[in-house]
Amino acid sequence: MRFLPLPRNAVLFIVMTTLVLLAWVVWATFKYPETLWSPGDLSRFHADIADCNDCHQPFRGAAAEKCIACHTRNSFVTQSKSTLSESHQKMKFEGKSCSDCHTEHSGALAQISSGALINPHGEFVFRATDTHSCSACHDFSARDETHAKLLDSATVRHLLEEGEGAHQLGKMGHCLDCHKGGRLNIKDEGD
Amino acid sequence: MSLLIKRFLTVLVFVIITIAGGLLIEAFLSLKAGWLFGHTQTGHLVGWVGLAVILLVFIYPLKKRYRRKAGWPKGWFWVHQVAGIIGPVLIFIHAGSHFHALVPVLAMLAMVIVTVSGVLASAVHRKALYLLNDKRKELLNQGLPLEVVEDRLHDMASSEEAFRIWQVIHAPMVILFLALVVTHVAGALYFGGV
Repeated sequence: MRFLPLPRNAVLFIVMTTLVLLAWVVWATFKYPETLWSPGDLSRFHADIADCNDCHQPFRGAAAEKCIACHTRNSFVTQSKSTLSESHQKMKFEGKSCSDCHTEHSGALAQISSGALINPHGEFVFRATDTHSCSACHDFSARDETHAKLLDSATVRHLLEEGEGAHQLGKMGHCLDCHKGGRLNIKDEGD
Repeated sequence: MSLLIKRFLTVLVFVIITIAGGLLIEAFLSLKAGWLFGHTQTGHLVGWVGLAVILLVFIYPLKKRYRRKAGWPKGWFWVHQVAGIIGPVLIFIHAGSHFHALVPVLAMLAMVIVTVSGVLASAVHRKALYLLNDKRKELLNQGLPLEVVEDRLHDMASSEEAFRIWQVIHAPMVILFLALVVTHVAGALYFGGV
């Protein structure tokens, strides 16, 4: 098969376009790094982070040293339940990296812990209870293969009392079956 | 509908089905992995393998340009065509339908343009060229003067010329594609780790 030679300007045009594009990439990397490089929006837990290098170390990825710069041992002791603090200490001794269990860039409402990636309640439960993590209501250190143990906390007690009897154990799996679109959508019996 | 238009539409349907297939495989693997397949170790591996397969594509044009007399030209052209489809499919499985970061999105777009123009060249333009040449030979063998032959072949020649546009797109866009791939890989290694 014989073809005519390419127009002389075609290659020159594309080389120029490539150079301009690369120059733009360099400029935009400093100006809009997230638009160019981020594989997804950060979760609500890390939404206030603006600089990629706050979590990423060049050519080493999301390094644990960067995580523990904010998530210090002290912050675990003072802000988390003792079980969570202990389980993280244990993982540290086992030599596990943060990224073995946690992920990011999966969207603002995504879970970032591997055990919590499938949330049967939907994200609505966090808004309804004004909590930010599964461990606000569940004790994962004592869970069997399928269920996390329910805590006897004020949040859990309040949730069970609400809903005019609809919030019962075993019926809390899928909040959105009743709260469609994240709104209370239960009809009163008299309606 | 002419044979060439039928072939053109067939290529488009083939491209859509292939892309959809790649994306569906990625969606299935992501569900299985629990998070984005492209961010798993296997996902990275598929990306590297896809890139290696795509690099095989360049043996044919390099041999054609610099070692014209070296053996197995048809074989390398076959490798060029097969690797030019399998490589991009692997990249689609690696990437999935998660278009967020602009650099890989642009790289993907450039890859699709290069691949589709290559497939159109092979499936449509080559056929158009063969049909035109065969018809020209046939008319000249009938003893018709060259001007009359060219006049009669005007429509066929126009079709051939229209589909020849792949030449202006295919090779030059490779430069853009390679620049974006190198940028994407450099960025992925910088942020994701070596």
